[in-house]
Amino acid sequence: METAAPRSIRLSALLTWWPAWLLLALTAAAILAPWIAPLDPDRQNLLARLKAPGFEARGATYWLGSDELGRDILSRLIYGARVSLSVAVLSVLLSGLVGVAVGMAAGYLRGWTETILMRLVDIFLSIPAILLAIITVAVLGPGFVNVILVLALTRWPRYARVAYGQTLAIADRPFVTLARAMGASPLRVLALHILPNIIGPLLVVATLEFGLMVLFEAGLSFLGLGVQPPTASWGSMLSTGRNYVGSAWWIATFPGIALFLLVLSANLIGDRLVDRIGKGR
Amino acid sequence: MTLLSVQDLAVQAGALSLVDGVSLDVAPGEVVALVGESGSGKSLTALSIMGLLAEGLTVTGGRVDYDGTDLTALPEDRLRALRGADLAMIFQEPVSSLNPLVPVGRQVAESLVVHDRASEAEAAEAAIEMLRRVGIPEPARRATQLPTELSGGMCQRVMIAAALISRPRLLIADEPTTALDVTIQAQILTLMADLAADAGTAVLLITHDMGVVAELAGRVCVMYGGRVVEQGPVDPLFAAPRHPYTRMLLRTIPRLDEPTKGELFAIRGNVPSPKNWPEGCRFRTRCDRASDACTARPALIKGDHRVACFHPVEDPE
Ligand SMILES: Nc1ncnc2c1ncn2[C@@H]1O[C@H](COP(=O)(O)OP(=O)(O)OP(=O)(O)O)[C@@H](O)[C@H]1O
Ligand SMILES: [Mg+2]
Repeated sequence: METAAPRSIRLSALLTWWPAWLLLALTAAAILAPWIAPLDPDRQNLLARLKAPGFEARGATYWLGSDELGRDILSRLIYGARVSLSVAVLSVLLSGLVGVAVGMAAGYLRGWTETILMRLVDIFLSIPAILLAIITVAVLGPGFVNVILVLALTRWPRYARVAYGQTLAIADRPFVTLARAMGASPLRVLALHILPNIIGPLLVVATLEFGLMVLFEAGLSFLGLGVQPPTASWGSMLSTGRNYVGSAWWIATFPGIALFLLVLSANLIGDRLVDRIGKGR
Repeated sequence: MTLLSVQDLAVQAGALSLVDGVSLDVAPGEVVALVGESGSGKSLTALSIMGLLAEGLTVTGGRVDYDGTDLTALPEDRLRALRGADLAMIFQEPVSSLNPLVPVGRQVAESLVVHDRASEAEAAEAAIEMLRRVGIPEPARRATQLPTELSGGMCQRVMIAAALISRPRLLIADEPTTALDVTIQAQILTLMADLAADAGTAVLLITHDMGVVAELAGRVCVMYGGRVVEQGPVDPLFAAPRHPYTRMLLRTIPRLDEPTKGELFAIRGNVPSPKNWPEGCRFRTRCDRASDACTARPALIKGDHRVACFHPVEDPE
């Protein structure tokens, strides 16, 4: 009787935060891929091509089936999570770093710095992001590092916008003037007094952007502009699977579900953060 | 010898003149009061001295001589070296003037850390000592708390501690107790004045409270419409105010020793906004002594007790 209430509270907390647990589980799977993937993701087995989920051959079980080259879908999914997550994390970090620096500088220094930087932001925001990404990858060439660079290049203005607005609002607060009256340098004021006070809304943006970056990476890989074969990526799995939707539905379906769940979790966490922190305030 | 000498200071927002020819001096260790109704330009004068005017406001004329150097012509990094170390300022709103996310001890230590006067550990210790001196009980524990965990009065004590920890030569206090409960205002102001006196810090005290001026200040500077209308030593000036505005300002305080006849005296009309300041003497539209001569600008007559008026009160009733 006495433990009933706390236990149900704990259970409901577990349930409401399922997106976070899912994200954690995926991250763990990505990190531990070499130990938990049942098979080598790149090993081809031409005798086990296009086999349905549950197929067994020479002691190996293809839990989620195999692809057109006889590679294990489950293992490729687990390895593919590495690409999705690392590209998303690194591009969010890079674009966030650049965008926040630009936005805060514009919002705090004002004057011509503000004019130039925010005009640049407007220009970048007016170009459709995925188009810009496709064009730049086409020019730079595909590959892991280039994908991250390109995503950062197209996405930093989002952070700059938010950081700029938030900095403007905070810079007028008396405690910022007091810090300046104490002799604090602009860098110190920005890093110690302003950044901690605007980190909430920036985290919200970063979380929502994270989901978008997963999608963008998959999109680029789908178009053959992402990480190159044979490295497993959910986008390229979707792309090949598309040719076999009629005969081998599992090739495209499982990476599709994985993508859907990952992006959904990121967005749900973002929404929850908005409720907690309040967006744009 | 003067520590700070403001001469003919002018501040504009675009083309709109907000402060126009303010002059005042502060000697080392002295307490000078800056008084005047709301909107007379007291805060703008203070912020101009610190070089902290908000975006869109600029000093368009005059000088601010500190120790012989004109602060208005000083590059930002040299000015920054003075702020917090030589020149300190405290504000009206104690709670919002402190960073809500930084423990108060670190905020008190800020100027020591910023100017490399002490290591982090020494600064933290000095901050606790300073919190103790401004009368905060359990300073070591309080130092770790956030401003939101402290009362308004405590926060104002914290700000005073932060301003005086580096023993600045000048403290500008812009209505430091207006936001506080009346019962603790006098207590905190006295504390501030005592600590400043201990450190040899001169104070430019902006206030609405004439009682405070009489109590703490040696000299007083009266502003109206972005200009200084009268200035001089407190006692003779209060005893015999010469500008009609000062006279009215002083009559607005109820006096306990004189029974008030009927309602309290209030200044006729409202303070015009900077856009509607009249030509010449800016007080003339509300003044009962105004004449045609007042359409010209009155100069601040030189001397110990200065007044800018064509018809100064010679013999106050
Ligand atoms: N950024 C600004 N832009 C335009 N006008 C301003 C700006 N800041 C202040 N002012 C105007 O300048 C005038 C003087 O303002 P200031 O804050 O110096 O008055 P004050 O004497 O300190 O008044 P109070 O006693 O209310 O603090 C006011 O009329 C105010 O409206
Ligand atoms: Mg003011």
